Amino acid sequence: MLVAGIDIGSITTEALLFDNDKGIVGYTILQTGSDSKKTAEMALEKVLAFPSKQISDISYIVATGCGRKRANFAQQAITEITCIAKGVNYLFPEARTIIDIGGQDTKVIRVDEKGRVVEFEMNDKCAAGTGRFIEVMAKALNVDLDKIGDISLQHKKEVTISSICTVFAESEVISLVSEGEALEDILYGIHKAISDRTMGLITRLGGPQPEIIMAGGVAKNIGVVKALEKALNAQIKIYVEPQIVGALGAAMLALEKA
Amino acid sequence: MKSYFKPLIEDEFTGEPPSKRLIAHIQRERVMGKGVVGIYCGYAPYEVIRSLDLVPATLCAFSNKPIEEAEVILPANLCPLIKSSFGFIKTDTCPFFGLSDVVIGETTCDGKKKMFELILDYKPIHVMDLPQLPDEPDAVDHWENMIYKVKQFLEEKFHKTTTDERIEEEIKNTNKEIKKMNEVFDYLAIDPPVVGWEELYDLFFLSLGSSGDEMARLIDEILMKLEKRKQSGFYYGREDAIRVMVTGCPIAGDATKVFRIIEESGGIIVALEACSGMKPYMSLIEEDTGNPIRAIAKHYLKIPCSCMTPNNRRLEWIDTLIERFRPDAVVDVILQACHSYNIESYKVGEHIRKKHGLPFLKIETDYSQSDVGQIKTRMGALLELCDEGLIFKKAARIKAM
Repeated sequence: MLVAGIDIGSITTEALLFDNDKGIVGYTILQTGSDSKKTAEMALEKVLAFPSKQISDISYIVATGCGRKRANFAQQAITEITCIAKGVNYLFPEARTIIDIGGQDTKVIRVDEKGRVVEFEMNDKCAAGTGRFIEVMAKALNVDLDKIGDISLQHKKEVTISSICTVFAESEVISLVSEGEALEDILYGIHKAISDRTMGLITRLGGPQPEIIMAGGVAKNIGVVKALEKALNAQIKIYVEPQIVGALGAAMLALEKA
Repeated sequence: MKSYFKPLIEDEFTGEPPSKRLIAHIQRERVMGKGVVGIYCGYAPYEVIRSLDLVPATLCAFSNKPIEEAEVILPANLCPLIKSSFGFIKTDTCPFFGLSDVVIGETTCDGKKKMFELILDYKPIHVMDLPQLPDEPDAVDHWENMIYKVKQFLEEKFHKTTTDERIEEEIKNTNKEIKKMNEVFDYLAIDPPVVGWEELYDLFFLSLGSSGDEMARLIDEILMKLEKRKQSGFYYGREDAIRVMVTGCPIAGDATKVFRIIEESGGIIVALEACSGMKPYMSLIEEDTGNPIRAIAKHYLKIPCSCMTPNNRRLEWIDTLIERFRPDAVVDVILQACHSYNIESYKVGEHIRKKHGLPFLKIETDYSQSDVGQIKTRMGALLELCDEGLIFKKAARIKAM
């Protein structure tokens, strides 16, 4: 039986096909852009193209992410908190703490052995310390988004970014540049700031419980991951494609319902 | 059997915001020559106001609209309730303020206290100094004194006098209303509930400007309708909806976005802990004590506002509500920059999780619509974790359709 999960996030949209015998059949990641409804349709179309299947072959579709209500073709919308927990549980059954940093939200979720959400914490309404924050900083520093993680690992000294507000941090970063601080040190400071903020959410949930898993686009940034591992004094496990974990969880829930 | 549903209050304001009915009521009273007393908070001694045949009018404080204008003078990082109150006055758009002859304020928080100083030029305003260590032996003496002073203020301003007998009479009227309101709340305790939060708000609002006696009579009719609803099998929301109790700051107007999100996400509101909800009806005022003002002072000082320290009464009151209304989850709504409720939220959350084993969610918000998406995600996840089975039931229903 074939099911699908679609995660319509603030920056990217992921569609994933899942077969109960074969596992993940395929997935696709698109930029959400300004028309999330159309992007969701395109993502589904694209993911169906390779196994050359039709939408009618899919038994059940669950949509998630902040645009979850925009996917008319889905039978059900479920929040990304529940979906990520399910997706992580499928990949890492021993997971108990999930750190999910996406485009505009940071979430820390505690899960049980069945992948059920026990408790969760989410950032305030602003996008401080999220994927969008990193994007803005990368732009201010004129560096490629996928390079900043590796560059920051070369850092030689501790530069502190005291503000986590996207607007204030941007001007702080610009003044650090004009003071002549090295790029790698500034990037380290940015990643450290995100890690500090995330640690606050983890502490609110009573501290980390192993295994700790990271999901969402920011998990691709090795700088943030290393900063968090240092702060947690523990190893973080990451799926090879951390951006699709929400869509995978949505597909798992679709499977339960189909 | 077809279930019975009729609006609880049937008049020209049915389906309108509850404030409209209250404005019309106060206007009628004013035409009949009654003075109007603007009030901001549940600590105002209604019985003293009513004993002078004056009408209390709760002033506007729950719309996002006048905030922009308020922020010209007030800091942006201030509680929206204070900004909205001030903005309404500054833009002369609060009909209740317009109708008020005088205003009574209380020192519940620093923001309100200092805002009152800025509206002195608009209307005569009398500020009551609220003791915030309510369990201190002299706290009641102090509050009693403040109530005497407000009585004096009103007597002077309106050239009237009141008596202990009249105040005692109003205490009894209030008690009658409290008892009747609690009978309405019984229909919320039923699973699924027979009465909705918007209907309760109609009553809460109307009760602010009406006498306890008037309300008690109105509620008698409402109780008959509710019983008919119950008998006919009518209920609010879905049969398997998750029962949610809301606690925290006062909520009305634009902040009711949180209530709507709760219900859109598959929950049903079964208890409203705040001042804008059930707090005014939590206990009776002691009758026939020979000193009605002291009885009033004792009663109002028991209101568990987060401005009080310690405020263990709020936790006890939450226990009572949980036992009576059996919620599946508790949502704490904090208005941005309301430090006392925000800080207390930690204690409340721990209490609810540990003592009652219920999921707890804190929502910090203001009157804007900018965070609706994020609140929906949090609320959705809370309700999903409350009952994983619920989403399957819903899915099965969609499939069957």
